[in-house]
Amino acid sequence: MSDRATVDFLAAVPLLEGRAEADLMELARALRRRQVAAGEILWHQGDEARELVFIVEGGVSASLHVPGDREVEIGRMGPGETVGEIALLDGGVHTMSARATAPATILALSRAEFGGLLARQDAAAFRLRRRLAALLTERHRNQLRRLAASLGDDGAGPAPADPTRPPAELEFCGPPDSRYVRRMANFHDFDQLALWGFLTSGRYARCPPGRTLLAEGAPSTACYLTINGAVEKVLVRGERRIRVGLAGPGKAFGYDSLIDGRPSPVTAVTRERSLLLVLPRAHFEQLFNGENAVSRVFLEVLQRDQVATLRQTLRPHARLAASL
Amino acid sequence: MCRILAYLGEPLPIRSLLFDTDNCLVRQSYSPKMMNTFLNLAGFGMKAWDPASLRPDDPFSYRATTLPSFDRNLRSLSSKLAPTCVVAHVRGVTYSDEAIVAETNLHPFHFAGARVVMAHNGHLRQFARIRYALVEHVRPELAQRIEGTTDSEWIYALILSQLDDPYGLPETRELADATAEALRILRKVRIAHGIDTSSPANLCVSTGRAVVATRFSFDYGWYPPDDEMLETDLPFVSLWYAIGGAYAENDGGWQMTAADPPRSVIIASEPLTTDHSSWLEVPEYSMLTAELTPAGLEFETRDVDV
Repeated sequence: MSDRATVDFLAAVPLLEGRAEADLMELARALRRRQVAAGEILWHQGDEARELVFIVEGGVSASLHVPGDREVEIGRMGPGETVGEIALLDGGVHTMSARATAPATILALSRAEFGGLLARQDAAAFRLRRRLAALLTERHRNQLRRLAASLGDDGAGPAPADPTRPPAELEFCGPPDSRYVRRMANFHDFDQLALWGFLTSGRYARCPPGRTLLAEGAPSTACYLTINGAVEKVLVRGERRIRVGLAGPGKAFGYDSLIDGRPSPVTAVTRERSLLLVLPRAHFEQLFNGENAVSRVFLEVLQRDQVATLRQTLRPHARLAASL
Repeated sequence: MCRILAYLGEPLPIRSLLFDTDNCLVRQSYSPKMMNTFLNLAGFGMKAWDPASLRPDDPFSYRATTLPSFDRNLRSLSSKLAPTCVVAHVRGVTYSDEAIVAETNLHPFHFAGARVVMAHNGHLRQFARIRYALVEHVRPELAQRIEGTTDSEWIYALILSQLDDPYGLPETRELADATAEALRILRKVRIAHGIDTSSPANLCVSTGRAVVATRFSFDYGWYPPDDEMLETDLPFVSLWYAIGGAYAENDGGWQMTAADPPRSVIIASEPLTTDHSSWLEVPEYSMLTAELTPAGLEFETRDVDV
């Protein structure tokens, strides 16, 4: 595959959409091309992540090893798609095993090169972060669909809103103590001025426990960041219910719908009384599409949350049989 | 903060839980993987039930304030014992001269003659303010038996006090209800005293025939801004389990073999292996109950909304 052919291929990869030709040429030189036989393992779940893979030809299956010594296929990827981005983004181990389903041609991008693309401050780096956000949203929705199917979802979707759960009544209030916020792990390693710019770009609100902030199947009107307390993210089908995440301090929710314009994939209910940073749609879009230091902090916080959420959703959980 | 472990099932050498795996309980005392900025160096305790021993309803007991990784007695004993139920604990305390490292503060707590033991991973913030308000909820004969200075021993006395007979063998359901009721009482007393900051209460309660475990926190997500435990408590305190036939080494790695119905379960603050793929995370705000029956292990997970 010549550099020219590689550049033409990369130009059509959704994750790299909009990158300048010179950028793609530089990237093409950093990629390592490999032929993979059908059945060959690219990596095992739990392996240290060394590379991101673009599939040129053939296909790759991603599977999860679950209790009971079983393998569950989570997805199949084909030409133009990427595999292995989650572990490269958070520096953790691979969440799933990857295996070629047919003879494949792949282009591998090393951890260092991928980090270099993200670390740049130019428009292309911001675009890449937004494309990654869209890709992670799609991955998250796919996994939630699998979980809903395990609840016996026949495609009819969620039950109507639970009338016993009152809708959220937000009481707007002042910002939290900055000494506390600075100690939250999700906000480490940022320029303090830019971080504070992000943390003051919305409004703070208190909410009592047991209130529905977001309903599955309805459009989201805001992105929320939990400062204190906790918000449950759940899927409900009839009498059955799975908690798919708990947004405690520093964790966000409500953004999937704002990223891809589709209805919310989960219902969000306050489990504890909570203090939330509320970013209405207009504020979210300004931060998401911006290309300054504050947007950079926001996109990084969002990405950390998406990766952690996806890891959480992929992890097998005990099912709750009943309430006590 | 601490690390807890409970095992219920087929006879299993304790050594495999405490020493042999790459994230075994003893290793979690000095190198925990799921705790930020904190070690568990304030002692080790264990209760173990072996049906083949003398008086099998009385657990074997071991506790020492020395570091378990250097404890040759513990290593030697753990190679010889293969019980059907174990509750073990490595204790962590704040690095402060206010913390008291003493044998009387080591878990699992077990009042003489009682059939129930309990270990706790967590801490009740501002416990000193509610300690004596709990007296009215604890049977007087049990309150007199509290020897140590921990919040955990009071939780144990509260749970025992909710049983019809604190010295009898409760049904698993009664033990689960007593544990939930103890949490309800703590919630009420905290509210009455205006305490509303995060206080984890991951509990392992056992009779040797059944285990009740909680992954729970009061007022999760709320902290005093200058709190020294903030970074440790920001994530919900972890709890995991592995369930199946038998915990065994296979191809150099330890895992629970598949079995339906299951015969054994391990419940632990952290998976005992760095490979988590055979472990399940216990949902936040939930309770596990496990009981050995002639037909196998009965196991259930429930939401705890107290």
